[in-house]
Amino acid sequence: METESMVRLKGVVKEYPLGKLKVRALDGVDLCIRKGEFTVVAGPSGSGKTTLLNMVGCVDVPTAGEVLVAGKETSKLDDRGRTLLRLERLGFIFQTFNLIPVLTAAQNVEFPLLLQRRLGRRRRRERVREMLALVGLEALLDQRPNEMSGGQRQRVAIARALVTLPGIVLADEPTANLDTATGMNIIDLMKTLNRERQTTFIFSTHDPRVMEHARRIVRIVDGRIAGDDGCGGAAERAEA
Amino acid sequence: MGLFLTVAVRNLLQAKRRTALLVTALAGVTLLLVLLMALSAGLTETMIRSATAISSGHVNVAGFSKNKPADAWPVLHGIEAIRRKVADLVPEATSLVVRERAWAKLISDRHSLFVSPTGVDYASEARLKEALVLAKESDYKKGGRDVVVGDLSKLAEPHTAVLFAGQAKRLDVEVGDDLTITAPTGAGRTNTLDVRIVAIARDFGFLSNWVTFLPRQDVKDLYQYGDDTGAVVQVYLPDPAGSEEVMGRLREGLAAAGHELMDHEPAPFFMKFERVAGEDWTGQKLDVTVWSDEVSFLKWVVTALDAISVVLVGILMVIIALGITDSMWIAVRERTREVGTERAIGMTRRQVLALFLVEAMLLGLAGTTLGGLAGAGVAALLDHARIEVAWDALRMILMSDVLNLAVGPGQVAWSIGVFTLLTGVAALPPAVRAARMQPVTAMHHAG
Ligand SMILES: Nc1ncnc2c1ncn2[C@@H]1O[C@H](COP(=O)(O)OP(=O)(O)OP(=O)(O)O)[C@@H](O)[C@H]1O
Ligand SMILES: [Mg+2]
Repeated sequence: METESMVRLKGVVKEYPLGKLKVRALDGVDLCIRKGEFTVVAGPSGSGKTTLLNMVGCVDVPTAGEVLVAGKETSKLDDRGRTLLRLERLGFIFQTFNLIPVLTAAQNVEFPLLLQRRLGRRRRRERVREMLALVGLEALLDQRPNEMSGGQRQRVAIARALVTLPGIVLADEPTANLDTATGMNIIDLMKTLNRERQTTFIFSTHDPRVMEHARRIVRIVDGRIAGDDGCGGAAERAEA
Repeated sequence: MGLFLTVAVRNLLQAKRRTALLVTALAGVTLLLVLLMALSAGLTETMIRSATAISSGHVNVAGFSKNKPADAWPVLHGIEAIRRKVADLVPEATSLVVRERAWAKLISDRHSLFVSPTGVDYASEARLKEALVLAKESDYKKGGRDVVVGDLSKLAEPHTAVLFAGQAKRLDVEVGDDLTITAPTGAGRTNTLDVRIVAIARDFGFLSNWVTFLPRQDVKDLYQYGDDTGAVVQVYLPDPAGSEEVMGRLREGLAAAGHELMDHEPAPFFMKFERVAGEDWTGQKLDVTVWSDEVSFLKWVVTALDAISVVLVGILMVIIALGITDSMWIAVRERTREVGTERAIGMTRRQVLALFLVEAMLLGLAGTTLGGLAGAGVAALLDHARIEVAWDALRMILMSDVLNLAVGPGQVAWSIGVFTLLTGVAALPPAVRAARMQPVTAMHHAG
């Protein structure tokens, strides 16, 4: 069971200081994500979706509890360790696309590979081309982000997230800044990639139409998991 | 690194106005620095040239002799043996010149003037022949013609003198006139000598105020010195940069040969009379100096110029550095979310730091290279133009009537290097802040 789970959260609590008070954004979350899953984190605004994805994505650490990514406990790593974990194991897709404006589509996709310094120039270029073809943008190789539509930008971002062949791709409301049709296209693309390449996706949304496509839905309310139809849910906790 | 360069270059091009402003400012201050350094180097060059033409070798072996403690005669006995020893010790010397030195009064029909008559063997003074440029008659005589009169080679004949234009003006004399020279020769007696002015040379700045050339034998006669005497052996080297080393070698070698040596004092010989007269010894001591000692009273000019340069360029650079820091703060603020994204994707803190430093230093390199090359070009042009120095006082200080600038490629490279590094230092606080940002904070930053 442990070998199959890419991410494991155990009793995760996250508090933010708010003046003298503390806001409890996550309040004892247990969760387990396995290879090849396509998981949606759903919940009303302010329920803790982004906070949860930040924990899984190693861009923040919990106040209490454990987050294990690729078998490593993230709060025990230093900044550099978490950075390398993100570079090697995770892919990110953002609500606002977050491409680097001065780089072309191809250069944006190449960026993580350059940070990894593992592939030679030719292999890198091949991989970039392959990824852009996968998201249907092989014609826009040399376009800058500001010359592309929102949907195209998000496709570039998906290609960038996938180019290192990460264990998990995280996407915080990837369709929120897109019109409905484009949003559905992006979800379809992610689903296809999940099916054909076994890429593990976890993304948040509060769009019910997007939720329909999910294989597994984790519902979150006030920082607690209110419903989960996968592992780490009530069933598994009973087992343990 | 290639990626960092691409990102840095494009970001700089993106912020066109900011970049253009800072590049221009950096170019300006680098240009100024290179110009000032060229002026300082040119001044030093001119000083070496003038000093070694008129009153000094690259290295000098001079000294004083005393019959009684209160004496201070600038004369050495056994000069021929000393000259031979110097020749042995400095085989690389291009020439050795023996001169007489004195202090005397020049008297014309109407005026008089104290100078240091310098006795020369005209035949052995190839350098002096080259360095002295004869003045036009109009340079020293009211209503004089615009032609050169006089003949330097007549200095080979006895009872002749070569003056500088400023001295001729003050004495109100011209070529062909006679002068009387009077000199105290000790024990209250005064000797006189009549000489004819055979040539008048163009002024050489400060030094030409008090140097007048006479045949060596005339000076000896004036002071009734013996045959085997002389004031100084001037040593000329293939490269003036070796002066200090040769001075050391001479001091050791001459001391080993049994000569008494004075302690090294970086001052011209005419400022040492009083000290020597106050010392309690008799006999003869040698004094070995380098050219810069003999013009040390002028070194303040170079020092002052350098000090002004440092202060001026320093102030400008601080202002520009503040501008760079400010500009990088803006860049970091504008790109907060970009930094967050890069951190999330897997860029380390150190890489973020490097990204911003590379950007700043690229800007620095562009500005300073532009300014450095422009400065070198302008300096070379100014030097080539041989601009006349219009102001007399300045001409005195510069020891030249044209502006001389010397550009060294080393200095230009140094300026570029140091200023580029400074740009990096100026960008450090914003770059460190960028590197310290948490990826979450950076990602959710609005805008
Ligand atoms: N950096 C922060 N400092 C203080 N409070 C925070 C911070 N980030 C989130 N919170 C609070 O934590 C709670 C959960 O926030 P979170 O952003 O995770 O919700 P969300 O489900 O993503 O909401 P939305 O659908 O609006 O994006 C909210 O009450 C929010 O105000
Ligand atoms: Mg959110």
